[in-house]
Amino acid sequence: MARSWSRLLGAATSASLLVAGLAVGSVAQAAHHRPAGVKTGGTLVIGESSADVGNWDPVATYEIPWATVMNNVFEGLTFRNPQLQLQPGLATSWKYLNPTTLQFQLRKGVTFQDGEPFNATAVQYTFNRLLGPAGAKGPEQGNYTSIKSVQVVNPYEVIFHLRAPDPSLLTKLSGYGAVIVPPQYIQKHGAAYFADHPIGTGPFMVTKYVRGSEIVLTRYPHYWRGPAYLQTVIYKFLPEDSTRLADLQTGAINVMQAVPIPDVPLLKSNPAYTTYVAVTPTVYEFGFDVTQPPVNNVLVRRAINMAINVPAIIKAVLKGYAKPISSYQGPLSFGNDPNLKPIPYDPAKAKALLKQAGVKAGTPITIGYDGTDTTFQEVAQAAASYLDAVGFKVTLMPVEQNTFYNQDIPDQKAGQMFEFGWGGWTLDFDNTAYLLYMPKQFYNPSFSNPEVSKLILAERSTNNVAARRQDFYKLDTLLQQLEPGVNLYDTEEIWATSSNVQNFVAPPDDRLWLWHTWVK
Amino acid sequence: MRIVAYVVRRILQGALVMLVLSIVVFVTIRLTGNPVAGLLQGLSPTKQAIAHLEHALGLDRPLYVQYAAYMWQAVRGNLGQSYSMQVPVTTLIWSRFPATLELALAAIVESILIAVPLGTYAALHRGSTGDLAVRGASLIGISFPNFWLGIMLVLVFSVTWRIFPASGDAGLLSLVLPATTLGLILAGVEMRLVRASVLEVVPQDYVRTARAKGSPPARVLTTHILRNALLSIVTFTGLQFAGLLGGVVIIEDIFAWPGLGQIGLTAVEQRDYPLVQGIVLFFAALLVLVNLLTDLSYLLIDPRIRFE
Repeated sequence: MARSWSRLLGAATSASLLVAGLAVGSVAQAAHHRPAGVKTGGTLVIGESSADVGNWDPVATYEIPWATVMNNVFEGLTFRNPQLQLQPGLATSWKYLNPTTLQFQLRKGVTFQDGEPFNATAVQYTFNRLLGPAGAKGPEQGNYTSIKSVQVVNPYEVIFHLRAPDPSLLTKLSGYGAVIVPPQYIQKHGAAYFADHPIGTGPFMVTKYVRGSEIVLTRYPHYWRGPAYLQTVIYKFLPEDSTRLADLQTGAINVMQAVPIPDVPLLKSNPAYTTYVAVTPTVYEFGFDVTQPPVNNVLVRRAINMAINVPAIIKAVLKGYAKPISSYQGPLSFGNDPNLKPIPYDPAKAKALLKQAGVKAGTPITIGYDGTDTTFQEVAQAAASYLDAVGFKVTLMPVEQNTFYNQDIPDQKAGQMFEFGWGGWTLDFDNTAYLLYMPKQFYNPSFSNPEVSKLILAERSTNNVAARRQDFYKLDTLLQQLEPGVNLYDTEEIWATSSNVQNFVAPPDDRLWLWHTWVK
Repeated sequence: MRIVAYVVRRILQGALVMLVLSIVVFVTIRLTGNPVAGLLQGLSPTKQAIAHLEHALGLDRPLYVQYAAYMWQAVRGNLGQSYSMQVPVTTLIWSRFPATLELALAAIVESILIAVPLGTYAALHRGSTGDLAVRGASLIGISFPNFWLGIMLVLVFSVTWRIFPASGDAGLLSLVLPATTLGLILAGVEMRLVRASVLEVVPQDYVRTARAKGSPPARVLTTHILRNALLSIVTFTGLQFAGLLGGVVIIEDIFAWPGLGQIGLTAVEQRDYPLVQGIVLFFAALLVLVNLLTDLSYLLIDPRIRFE
């Protein structure tokens, strides 16, 4: 009898343990279900196209390449996924209590990579630091000055008090200066140490940094979404295109950023590699100095727009790796009107407009451009030939990049037409529109229109998405009529990986996200 | 005592050179444009943001105030903070300089190992086929653009034959291609110099005397010919070494070699005033030191030399 009871007890205990184990397992699986066939572990070696940014502190960086690395180490209250959808990040929800008061509920059970807990104190510390003396000498502070203060309501609730409505704030909170930093770690080790040994809440942690050479990330096993598949990610700083390509071909790297267009066929034709094309936020135009003749006449500006065959330039110079644009923003930008078409190529109409405007054959026009940009040099040469064909006498003026953008354009010495390349990571037209079309801005010394200004001020004074969209669509149409520039194209960036790299997503905004990338 | 006085005088002269250079660099870099708009270019360069950052960086102060503040810190070893990286300039220099030094030294050693034997051979077999070959090789070496040679070496030895890495600083194998790129071009120039120096020494009386006394040919070569030919070679090598330290930019860029040249190029492009100033002053100090050491080395080579 005793034996049968003990056997029964044993069976009952085993059954209970089995049920408990299944329950735990199913919870774990629900939290982080790994599809069949996915291999964990492994190392990804990425050849970055930029030089070492030199400082990994979020308040100190102004470089987009910073985020190519740190998007896997730090997180913000909101999260913008590789499909550019804004989702909860370290905040589980948010709501506007009024246009200048934004409440966040914070995620529980999250830790920084040194074990420090994430909570409202960390959020308040992050923004006090960003907006205070520590952030004053860095370029990020200016991006977040709409935030007046951050109030801690309880350990998992904060309220942002704003100076004025900031409709792109939720996107800006997903990266760069707004990523959440560990207060205890920084207070213990200091900012200089933190700059070389950054700690965040993301899926990977920095385990080695060799200045000028590489940065090594290792999987953070307690990441709140579940551990990443990869064990190690190494970023090598390889700004020279031919070296980066050589490293991919020798196997020294298995991901290559920014494949030069002429090298794409070499990689595409080889089954050992996979290429990916990402539409970027970077757009190019020829800006006009609307104070200088003959482009001070809107008819002439329209004629120039119609004289340049942008699709042909994209095909011949960029080998198809770009898209024509109808306003000075890419298709992914909030504010882009998908129904607005680019101005069509029509050289006959262009000539008629020039005649109507009284522009004689042989009228000189100067096109300034960044002399270090070898691709745009070809674009400028092609555009010059189109303008020659309708009767202009074009002079091309290449200038060193920094001088061109930060002296010649603001000082109106870049010619009647000038290259302008721009890419905003917020993917909201507000930033571009304000800087290029509001009067007397740094990059806009000449264009001014009261109706344009009114629309820009209207869209940035509200958080209402539908109202902003309508304002932007009106703005897009109006700008196309006023022609402050020749909208050229939105660029595409090409990445290449060795074919054993799986689930790699080429980021449209250079913010690589490697949580579920793996190596076969 | 004479040597000590000479060294002290050279150091003081060097300090004066550095002071003048600091003013020249300070002024000229500021003529190339304001860095702040460039720093904010990818973000939001509104006029307010630019003015705010200019103030934070002290760029709205009068030039003489900025210079005085900079030099006050510089003489204490603080070269300021890089605008673009927000990291102390001294940290950047000390972390990157060893790689540049390693590359420059390797290039010099490689060039000497090539140039001295070949240049000597050419001089001792003047007019022969070997001499012609060496002079031809020297001309080819001088003619190579260094960026082209570097890329070609990568293509052949990394991509095709997989012998050496194409990039990075991961051990001795990584050093071979960048050092060879620089070394081959340098060797092209040095070969001609060695040949000319040896040709000048060979007909001298003391060489004929040494041979007449029955000294072994190897001893005649090393003790009498090369030692006397070495002065001009040492002078040239010293100058080249100093020049290399500042001139490896392109090679560091091609091979992703994490040296000071690479960061210097970026600093100029970004108008990173403190970093440009710091690197220039650092190289100037190095040049003064290398020239002094070169001059002092003459004493070892030729005991007849006296310093005034």
